[in-house]
Amino acid sequence: MRALCTIAYREWRSMFLSPLAWTLLAVLFAIAAYMFNAAVINYQLRLMQFQSYGGMGGGGEISLTEWTVAPMLGNAAVLMLLLMPLLTMRLIAEEKRQDTWPALASSPLSPMTIIGGKYLGLLLFLLVTVAMLGIMPLTLYFFGSPDTGQIVAGLLGLFLVTAAFGAIGLAASSATDSPIVAAFITFGVLLSLWIVAWMGDSAGSEVGKILTWVSLLNHYENFLTGVISSADLAYFLLLSSFGLVFARQRMVAERIRG
Amino acid sequence: MTEIMIEVSDLSRNFGSICALDRINLQVKRGEVMGFLGPNGAGKTTAMRILAGLLAPTSGSVQVAGLDVLEQGVAARAKIGLLPETPPLYGEMTVREYLSYLAALRRVPRTQVRTAVERAMSRCGLESVSERLLRNLSKGYRQRAGIAQAIVHSPEVVILDEPTVGLDPIQIREIRGLIRELGGEHSVLLSTHILPEVRMTCNRVALISQGRIVADDTLEGLEKRAQSAGLLFIRLNNSPEVSTLAALPGVAHIESGEGGGWWITPHPQIDPTPAILRNAVEKGWDLRELSPASHSLEDIFVQLTTQEADPEAHAAGEMKP
Repeated sequence: MRALCTIAYREWRSMFLSPLAWTLLAVLFAIAAYMFNAAVINYQLRLMQFQSYGGMGGGGEISLTEWTVAPMLGNAAVLMLLLMPLLTMRLIAEEKRQDTWPALASSPLSPMTIIGGKYLGLLLFLLVTVAMLGIMPLTLYFFGSPDTGQIVAGLLGLFLVTAAFGAIGLAASSATDSPIVAAFITFGVLLSLWIVAWMGDSAGSEVGKILTWVSLLNHYENFLTGVISSADLAYFLLLSSFGLVFARQRMVAERIRG
Repeated sequence: MTEIMIEVSDLSRNFGSICALDRINLQVKRGEVMGFLGPNGAGKTTAMRILAGLLAPTSGSVQVAGLDVLEQGVAARAKIGLLPETPPLYGEMTVREYLSYLAALRRVPRTQVRTAVERAMSRCGLESVSERLLRNLSKGYRQRAGIAQAIVHSPEVVILDEPTVGLDPIQIREIRGLIRELGGEHSVLLSTHILPEVRMTCNRVALISQGRIVADDTLEGLEKRAQSAGLLFIRLNNSPEVSTLAALPGVAHIESGEGGGWWITPHPQIDPTPAILRNAVEKGWDLRELSPASHSLEDIFVQLTTQEADPEAHAAGEMKP
């Protein structure tokens, strides 16, 4: 446990000691903030239209959260899909490339401790990222009454989806000695999982169902609408565990394969 | 003092169809500095990676401090400190941070981390650079930091893979001094292809060539063996017929050498020296010179590592202490 936390802390710290994390956060926030702003302006426009038409015959209203926070978080996830491979590629592949890996591998640590520690460090980083993105929706409370439940669900969803990205990135990083290759693999896998539902409707009913279930996007969208379901939670936990177990197996296999 | 710290039995390792190690046997006792000597590509690094638990053997077993590195890997690795060929340094950390980090990972109790780090730094002469980033250190200091991380958790066994490569002569001398010092407390397995290094640091030498141990002996033993098998050079003022000399007991072969001298190849079991001396005195050959052709460690090295083609010679090269 102590070793796990020590690795996690170093991993987390090393991200902030290099320009990597800072650059990533800067890019993420600049774009997310721009998108959030655009969404708020868009919302204002819709609201004005809505009021000028006199409420469209009285039915329904335009939800503030639905129109501002949800699109911002949706876009943030896509941004993270692009940025996470760059963050996770270093985790193991770079240690191997820079020959620091033997220091860890020759220490009295089980493979799961090393993998788990690195993943925990990454989760800490994601926690900071998601918490900081959460500041933007907070500003809405000055102007209206956003749906707190939906915001929290959305942020939780973003954390889970990025955590799953991270686990897949970690798995890819364990599979190669080249960080760039790890980034390509991660990006390919994540994008496939993101868009796989596109085929869902057109494919046969059984295959379509499976494709829809496998899709990251579908599960994430549930969170954005404020729904936290155990099926979605299970999906993300399963995906993350898969990544970690894969990375562990790779480590074990590497000792044997050389 | 005779406790065996590293016990390698019938260790083999294949990479696909390539056999990197072929049934290696090796023992290192407590407090001993064992030189692991061999040409590049002989299998030194593979053997060391297996010993340190980075690589699993194809067959055979390795025990470190009584623990099997395969079966009880985690516990065994706590007893091992490894310096790989390239020191595993995190450039963005300071020397102190780095050593503290690895001490924590290697089960140094929380309260003793500080002392352990201080001790490792002072042993490796790193105090003056303790707050500097590893990436800014010179090659010599990086190497020392690499050794410091291998000993920070006071392991029973220290494995050093070519620790002096790329250092300047002064640094080499310092590192060698450090290795000798380590020997008292830890068991050290030191891989190198630099022969004088072995002479200066090691109690015992294992010679490895093409994945096999071709010699395992003390340095003196090795030199003695090479000498006893070596040629004798004699020079006589009143030299008799060649046939007379060739007929002396212990002379297997004779040919003429420079300055009217003779090169004598001795019989493997009989030393010709007494017979030569006795006859020289009795028959007035007037002996001017009698010297064993001195074999340097280098000769032994070349001799033992280049005789693989001949299976008989290989068998003869196989020695047990």
